[in-house]
Amino acid sequence: MKQSFVFTGSGGQGIMSAGITLAHTAIDMGKHATYLPEYGPEQRGGSAKCTVVINDDTIVSPLPRMCDNLIVMNEVALAKFIDDVKPGGVLLANASRIKGEIERDDVRVIAAPVDDIALEIGDPRVANIILLGILIGATEIVSKETLIESLKDKFKDKKPQVLEMNIKALNSGIEIGEQHKIN
Amino acid sequence: MAEYKRASLLADSPSGYCPGCLHGLATKLIAEVIDDLGQADNSLNVISVGCSALNLLYWSGDNLSVAHGRAPAAATGIKRTNPERLVFAYQGDGDLAAIGLAEIMSAANRGENFTVIFANNQTYGMTGGQMAPTTLIGQKTTTSIYGRDPQTTGYPMKMCELISTLEAPVFVARYALNSPKGVNDARKGIKKAFELQLAGKGFTFIELLTNCPTNWKMSPMQTLEYMNTNTIPYFKPGIYKDKEADVK
Amino acid sequence: MGEKRFMKGNEAIAEAAVRGGCRFFAGYPITPQNEIPEYLSWRLPEVGGVYVQGESEISSVNMVYGASAMGTRAMTSSSGPGISLKAEGISYLAAAMLPALVVNISRGGPGLGSIQPAQSDYLQATKALGHGGFHCMVFAPNSAQEAVDTVYEAWEYAERDRNPVLVLMDGCLGNIMEEVELPPMKEVIPEEAPEWSLSRRNGRDYQGNITPIYTEPILEGLNAMAGEMYKAWEEDDVKVEEFMVDDAEYVVVAYGIASRVSKEAVLKLREEGYKVGLIRPITLFPFPKKSIHDLDYSRVKGIIDVEMTIPAQMRDDIELQVLERCPVYEYGRSGGCLLDDDGVYEAIKDIVAGGEA
Repeated sequence: MKQSFVFTGSGGQGIMSAGITLAHTAIDMGKHATYLPEYGPEQRGGSAKCTVVINDDTIVSPLPRMCDNLIVMNEVALAKFIDDVKPGGVLLANASRIKGEIERDDVRVIAAPVDDIALEIGDPRVANIILLGILIGATEIVSKETLIESLKDKFKDKKPQVLEMNIKALNSGIEIGEQHKIN
Repeated sequence: MAEYKRASLLADSPSGYCPGCLHGLATKLIAEVIDDLGQADNSLNVISVGCSALNLLYWSGDNLSVAHGRAPAAATGIKRTNPERLVFAYQGDGDLAAIGLAEIMSAANRGENFTVIFANNQTYGMTGGQMAPTTLIGQKTTTSIYGRDPQTTGYPMKMCELISTLEAPVFVARYALNSPKGVNDARKGIKKAFELQLAGKGFTFIELLTNCPTNWKMSPMQTLEYMNTNTIPYFKPGIYKDKEADVK
Repeated sequence: MGEKRFMKGNEAIAEAAVRGGCRFFAGYPITPQNEIPEYLSWRLPEVGGVYVQGESEISSVNMVYGASAMGTRAMTSSSGPGISLKAEGISYLAAAMLPALVVNISRGGPGLGSIQPAQSDYLQATKALGHGGFHCMVFAPNSAQEAVDTVYEAWEYAERDRNPVLVLMDGCLGNIMEEVELPPMKEVIPEEAPEWSLSRRNGRDYQGNITPIYTEPILEGLNAMAGEMYKAWEEDDVKVEEFMVDDAEYVVVAYGIASRVSKEAVLKLREEGYKVGLIRPITLFPFPKKSIHDLDYSRVKGIIDVEMTIPAQMRDDIELQVLERCPVYEYGRSGGCLLDDDGVYEAIKDIVAGGEA
């Protein structure tokens, strides 16, 4: 089944990294995936967006207008992209930064304070991995085991604590996601 | 005494340069130095645009003719992929000091291991004598009929001085070809530049002050005298940088 | 089976170039192609090749000119504004009959335009990459895999013809990561440097001349030879994908990224019972004239040109083959605004359903 994901936020929030990790994990599972980054002209702090398409077969178009899953990391991104998720899709919001009402009643909204959870775990940079965990818990788009393998590969040159922290973040995300399981 | 004969890289045909033009002398010097070094088969002439392009007809070694001003870029592609070759570019003043300024400065700054020989005759010869970046103040050309006015056209560009400010070049020198001594010094300078290149030392730059009887509208003899009284006082011959000598 | 990797289109191009025998690259930074020089800056030295960051697009293409003259497989890459600067050098490559690969990862234009992807360089690529009336073969892959396959073979065409080859791909495909299968490394043997080159590593012991300047009768002869070569390309080298065209009443013509979005729309419209097909030029020059010319216009009711640029630039080439036998429509986005599935689907459906009404 073809599933599309749009990750949005500002530069530095791990948007691109989350997208690549998801796409990479899908490939490792034998699926097909495309990952398209879109940057503003700024090197830091500008808007960041990436689109991931995952499919069992070859991906014809990597440019969906509407996505099945929208992941928003801040209010600016929410305001800009709220209409880009398909009715019946998933809108995953970083509740640490998005305080207001999310005005879509035709999508499944999952709001989780991922920045706060990341701080509790010990590093604000793992917020994006918590998001991936929530997606996996809720949709089972990729397997946890393969994702952990991807993370192992990604952090192979870092201290072991980095991987441990990311796995912890992933697990806490999955726990949240499972409470919002989509059948 | 050795027999005087045509350098092996000069084609057995009369030169088409205007009577009294020093381009012929400059190319002969280069060809003779290459013979002295036994590099005729290994040399590669990057031919620029202007009267220098006529070398295509007179130079019987390997030639690559390139776009206006781009010889140092093309030479970079050649030398980086074939470092064993003796590579030189022969460029005029419009080619090198105007349209090709970025290419020459950047190649020099990268310390590319080839030699650029810069023939400075203060005019665009082939296109009919327009003002060049090196045209002297007051010198008349077809685009400065009252003489070059620094108020609107700036001052003649001193390439040796500019290039010698860069860190990488190893040998930068200027010679005037209007006297036997100047010619002899130039021959030594070209030889030194080529030797440094063959030793892999880096970028070498030889400026040769030449003339253009046709566009200066003078007799050949008058151009040589004009060079003494006007060109040489502004473009002073000499060695501007000699990194290897500094080391010693 | 080759080696599989998940790579950005730009990186895939760079790796395929190395495997295709490229041993010299010169370029200048410009978005959205920066991954090509960045990748080659460390990758080429690994295989004994040379990477040079030029001081400009102009010098970079002339460095390629020099390296190619020595028989080295050489390339440069850029995006629209930089390709304009390279126009001089590409014309000289064609004049001096030097093979080279030029890659344009295109963006919105004209001028500095936009750093976002667009297909706004079709006319430049196919009609006049520089002065003097020459052409290059222009390939427009629509995936990272096809980019790999194209770049890997690019020098085979370039050296066969002694003419530069252009790969035109928009910034979207340049930046999308997809899985690619990489071909094996082609062997580079200095002793086999082409006989026409100025290399002496191949044992050549006579004078070599390479020049972009000729006497008049020789230049006229070379112009005529080039004309023959372009005709031969049309006979032998056209690459095109025809998808669900046999019974199609409406035929979309689209290349590169636009072809993928269009194919998605065609599939969806077919599910809905509309007889829509797709012709995808893979070579933009030579253009797949026959595929469009030989359609059965008693059946085909319309041709729809979909491009990620406004106005459509391929339209004249299409109309010259349609010859007013049916209407030609166009749909596009431009300026760095991307085509998307729904937009293309709706645009095609409007035309198709409108035609039926």
